[in-house]
Amino acid sequence: MAAEHVLSAPKPISQAPWLVPVRNIVILLVLWEIAGRFHLVAGGALPSLSAIVERFWEDRTDYPAHVWSTLVSSTLGFVIGNIAAIAAGVLFVLSPSAARLFRGFNVALFAVPTIAIAPILALTMAGISPRVALAAIGCYFVTMTATVVGLTQIDLRSADLVRAYGGGKWSVMRFVQLRSALPVILAGLQVAAPNAVLGAILAEFGGGGRWGLGTYLLGSLGRADPPRLWGIGLVATAIAGIAYLVFGLISARVTGASKAVTMTTSLPPAGTKAGSRWTGLAVSLGSIALPLVLWWAFIRGLGVPAMIGKTPWGVIDYLFFSPASPQAQSRLLEAMGQTLPITVAGMFAGLAAAFALAVSSRMLPSFTRALMPVALFSQTMPLIATIPLFVLLLGRGWLVTLVITISVTFFPAFITLAQGMKMTPKAALDLPKAYGAGAWTELRLVGIPSAMPYLFAAARLTVPRALLGVMIAEWLATGKGLGNLLNQSRGYLDYGMIWTVAAVSVVLSVALYQIVVLVERRVLAGMGMRGSE
Amino acid sequence: MAGAGGIRLSDVSKSFVARGTTVEALRGVSLDCEPGSFTALLGPSGCGKSTILRLSLGLEQADEGTIEIGGQKCGKATAGGLTGVAFQDAALLPWRNVEDNIALPLDVLKRDRSAYVAKIAELIRLVGLKGFEKALPGELSGGMRQRVAIARSLVTEPGVLFLDEPFGALDQILRRQMNIELQRIWTETRCTALLVTHGIDEAVFLADRVAVMHSRPGRIATLIDIPFARPRSSDLFSDPAFHRLCDEIAGVLHGG
Repeated sequence: MAAEHVLSAPKPISQAPWLVPVRNIVILLVLWEIAGRFHLVAGGALPSLSAIVERFWEDRTDYPAHVWSTLVSSTLGFVIGNIAAIAAGVLFVLSPSAARLFRGFNVALFAVPTIAIAPILALTMAGISPRVALAAIGCYFVTMTATVVGLTQIDLRSADLVRAYGGGKWSVMRFVQLRSALPVILAGLQVAAPNAVLGAILAEFGGGGRWGLGTYLLGSLGRADPPRLWGIGLVATAIAGIAYLVFGLISARVTGASKAVTMTTSLPPAGTKAGSRWTGLAVSLGSIALPLVLWWAFIRGLGVPAMIGKTPWGVIDYLFFSPASPQAQSRLLEAMGQTLPITVAGMFAGLAAAFALAVSSRMLPSFTRALMPVALFSQTMPLIATIPLFVLLLGRGWLVTLVITISVTFFPAFITLAQGMKMTPKAALDLPKAYGAGAWTELRLVGIPSAMPYLFAAARLTVPRALLGVMIAEWLATGKGLGNLLNQSRGYLDYGMIWTVAAVSVVLSVALYQIVVLVERRVLAGMGMRGSE
Repeated sequence: MAGAGGIRLSDVSKSFVARGTTVEALRGVSLDCEPGSFTALLGPSGCGKSTILRLSLGLEQADEGTIEIGGQKCGKATAGGLTGVAFQDAALLPWRNVEDNIALPLDVLKRDRSAYVAKIAELIRLVGLKGFEKALPGELSGGMRQRVAIARSLVTEPGVLFLDEPFGALDQILRRQMNIELQRIWTETRCTALLVTHGIDEAVFLADRVAVMHSRPGRIATLIDIPFARPRSSDLFSDPAFHRLCDEIAGVLHGG
């Protein structure tokens, strides 16, 4: 009796599992070719596959140097960013006070819309280091969060066992946490990989230089040559997609062995307020001050002239105490008024789409299997490479901004959610089934509640990406909002405004993020769960 | 073997704060377990019996009172490898196979695993899992997983064994079977055992002495000595004297 319900029955295989996606891809490619051939989409903005391939062949000698350059900087950034991220995640879990002190730094680094600091890095650093830095920044938060989530959402009973044999924090880390966090960390790396490529290309975009796909794309933008833009976009997508798939495969192998056999019921220990109120206050203040101190140290350390490199005080001076302040303020406010609403709308829409797809992956596995390759394909496309294509397809209005924003928030949100739902123990899902519950009831009672921490993690992930998406769209397409202001200021060599927009966009992003965190704390505390934040 | 040590709780109190309210889990609990004895803590859910065990293992700190294991402070005894523990849920690491799960305490205590190869093989045989050495927890039944947990609790050859409803998740038939096996295993090792359970028959069958607990606040109401001679066979389960004692304990249990 015991063995039959524990040994999971092998899934019936009616046909090869790869057949359906392959069939769908073939259908899609054929439709694409037809649409392109007969100029069916946006007056020829979507070229046919054969035209893209043909153009690619003509350009074949251009590609290797550009691809190599992007690969080198994104790989370096990926490695550096992720090592720092995992080390930081482990540190934060072992030492809650370090986590509190670095909180401001983490959130700021996370919330940085990379496009906003690309010009800054290009101003202050030399060679490929801006690209490496931006690629690393793109990885850091994703992987750090994944590490913290993985290390904290452990089976508390296993931790108890290790502690019952006198094991300390390090033993629990070594024997339980690191290994059980592995699937979550790998999912983080999976998302981080396209981020690194995107970061490198963004830096190429904002920072001159001769080689790199970003440079190539920028150089080709003005030539009204859709097949080439598509070619570059597809190559960038292929790089990001391969990186994504590799980590996906590793993750799938690892997750099988680490699913908990039963669901833990132990309530996480109530947070004990260590130290007095004053030390708590000091840590909070330190956490806010730390990013500013690091910003200041960055400028001082690199020895950038004050004219170009603004310190926090320099920005305040520019915005409030200089002769040009009133004008700067009004430009800034107008830009914010254009950027904010569409950011929030895009974020909710992207999150909703991700949630719907993650849910349907439970409900309608075959539908998801069919959709998955298309979704992955569209989402691993580095944002920057896809924007010209979106512009070609959708024009330069608000619609393009919204679509771009949804498309950049959807992907990380979906990965986070799908991972969360996959980690729900099988026994917990079997219970409603045993009472005759259908897929919906099962999902409502177990699947969704147990995925709640992941839904909020996804929401936190999407905030800055939404802002990033909007700003890039504004920069390249619509000529509105903060993104456009940044681009203009670059042209006018208005260094004060460049730093101001960067700082303001980070502050906006942090504020939105904080709102999500507050809601998360409320909801999860009411459910007896603990968030990863 | 580390040598059976006693367990001594003196006037232990403990409260928890959960979601804003304070719950008094234990008030003034004293308990003395002789070396080599088998004591069962019996009580309804939430009476603090598991808390006694968690305090003894150093997983929680008592607000008041002291706990000694083998004459040492509890944290020192656990880190010295004097104790073994099996929880209600097997709490096996899903990525470790049976052998490696049993060896986990050795890893935590930084003991050389190669010195225990024969011991682990013997334990696997003892709990009847021969042939499943390389199986992962997901491939085992609930009863088998619990056997792994029992084997794991014995791998360090503990002088003091803590059992937290180790068969709570098993069905009655399997549970009786495991009770008999546990008695056999315990007889072989002769360690001091403290069993937390809410099964009256389980407590009476296994223990030399049953401590009946009442809740709110958690406290020990009565200590009852169990007179049956060892080794006890499965026949005991149908002995009228056994049932009389169980009924008497049930009376105490519901009396408060």
